[in-house]
Amino acid sequence: MKRSAMLRVNEHPILGKRPIRKTVIITVDGNPVEAFEGEPIAAALMAKGIKVFRKTRLRKDPRGVFCAIGQCTDCVMTVDQQPNVRTCITPVKEGMEIRTERG
Amino acid sequence: MIQKQVVVIGGGPAGLSSAIAAAQAGARVTVIDENQRPGGQLFKQIHKFFGSREHYAGRRGIHIGTEMLKEAEALNIEVLLNSVVYGIFEDRTLGVIRDGANLSVRAERVVIATGASENPLVFPGWTLPGVMGAGAAQTMVNLHGVLPGKRCLMVGSGNVGLIVSYQLLQAGADVVAIVEADSKVGGYHVHAEKIRRHGVPILLSHTIREARGKESVEEATLVRLDKNWHPLPGTEQDLQVDFVCLAVGLTPLTELGWMANCRCQSVPGLGGFVLHHNDGMETTVPGIYAAGDCAGVEEASIAMEQGRLAGLSIAESLGLIDRTRSADQRASIQERLKELRRKPAFYDSSADLGNREASTADRASLEPLKVGPGYPTEERFQQGPTAIVECMQEIPCDPCAYVCPRGAISVGRPITKLPHLDTGKCTGCGLCIPGCPGLAIFVVDNTYSPTEALLKLPHEFLPLPKAGEIVEALDRYGRRVTEGRVIKVENPRKFDHTPVVSVVIDKRFSNEVRAVSVRRGRHGR
Repeated sequence: MKRSAMLRVNEHPILGKRPIRKTVIITVDGNPVEAFEGEPIAAALMAKGIKVFRKTRLRKDPRGVFCAIGQCTDCVMTVDQQPNVRTCITPVKEGMEIRTERG
Repeated sequence: MIQKQVVVIGGGPAGLSSAIAAAQAGARVTVIDENQRPGGQLFKQIHKFFGSREHYAGRRGIHIGTEMLKEAEALNIEVLLNSVVYGIFEDRTLGVIRDGANLSVRAERVVIATGASENPLVFPGWTLPGVMGAGAAQTMVNLHGVLPGKRCLMVGSGNVGLIVSYQLLQAGADVVAIVEADSKVGGYHVHAEKIRRHGVPILLSHTIREARGKESVEEATLVRLDKNWHPLPGTEQDLQVDFVCLAVGLTPLTELGWMANCRCQSVPGLGGFVLHHNDGMETTVPGIYAAGDCAGVEEASIAMEQGRLAGLSIAESLGLIDRTRSADQRASIQERLKELRRKPAFYDSSADLGNREASTADRASLEPLKVGPGYPTEERFQQGPTAIVECMQEIPCDPCAYVCPRGAISVGRPITKLPHLDTGKCTGCGLCIPGCPGLAIFVVDNTYSPTEALLKLPHEFLPLPKAGEIVEALDRYGRRVTEGRVIKVENPRKFDHTPVVSVVIDKRFSNEVRAVSVRRGRHGR
């Protein structure tokens, strides 16, 4: 939790204080993770220092966020049993089940 | 089959401008965008824009986006979000996926305003999590409020690399270095200065050799390059970083144009294959127009002008506006485009002041600045507070000319001319400081006391210093020169989040100090 406090930008010289948003619980590979409702899944994971979103099929190389605007598909994960979901543009909902994608 | 009059594909600056221009002329316009929210990349642009004051310059991208959306709403422009245009078929029929359903939309006129995507750069470790586009980091930080890491290596010193580096600093990350393969900075000089004075080194003729880490980036190796961009063995150095941002250019998203049979041509200076178009932004397929980065990667100010052109041409072709009137409007837009496209060039001090020639040399020395039109004379410094306009590169930007209440700063035409400071009119009030998008204007008062000078400096960082506080005074390269005593911090609404700090320092350093650093941590104590 300490790490997330470091990576969240709660106060910004131009954007000011971030508005208070509703906190929900999602699970990532079975572990409960706090996230803000409506933020992209990728942002919620990044804020917790989670960087590996999937492993490639043959070499099992780790992959994470690359473009953050839904173009490159490097950040896809399995969300509520659906594979290949672009986490950078998919908003967090309460109780979402997110899994690192393998292959 | 749904029939529409004008469909704009992409709701970024180019698409919204074209929609607004066409709707103002009376067209019924639908904007289709694949995102949850229109505005394209405008909402992550939290810096003040360059360009002409007449068209949004001096305002932050986020505010421009908000304003355009309001305008679009007032004009009853229909905006379909979460909707992907996957193809353009016969007779301008668009295939659209919306909420999982397939729609066919036939339009009398189509604008392709799909923008561009960031280029990757291939090196060992480039696929490691933590290596990302600079725009991706910008999205994460400015839109979603999350830092990708704490220590960044930026690859590329074009405007994207420079601006995103500055914004990462503003959000509280460290930018350990910017590497640039070329022997000169790619972006605007003023953007480079903004980050240099906060201590970020720009390593020219350097690139990334490798990124390493077990599951994500933990370390990067840099290497020096010779003038042919070949790595020089033995010059490698390791940096501890936890993310690497790639700012190595953009590629136009032209797929829909190819599919519609629009002629595409490769223009290396514009990012690769771009949609060929005429003066009115119409492609080689009648009824299909292109605007913004898909017609060539340029600045947002240019994308907006192109959008206006496309909107006007469409209105004209639909018989909605009088041809002579729109011809006038189009001519003035063309004129502005010409000015916005003038290549940035450094001010050449050896040229006659009345007939300035441009030089492309990268100048680190202050000498050319001192004979430039924004620099006061030695005598003027003895007479009291005065502004210094440290704008040494001819770039298309003029907001400074509109902010001085006494009219002491002028730019004139073309818009790339360096600002001229009339030191007789300047009182050193400092209202020009937040008015400069490049944060290149400062006020120096060498008459503050026999031994001290007063400086007024822009400071867009947290924490803000407080009156009475002792701060570190930094030079143009972020090196500590001396300490300073803050006497005032001004941050009214009209400064739009560019606070101006008045700081008193040892007079000997008044021409060196250009930034302050607060000793407290980011969130204070």
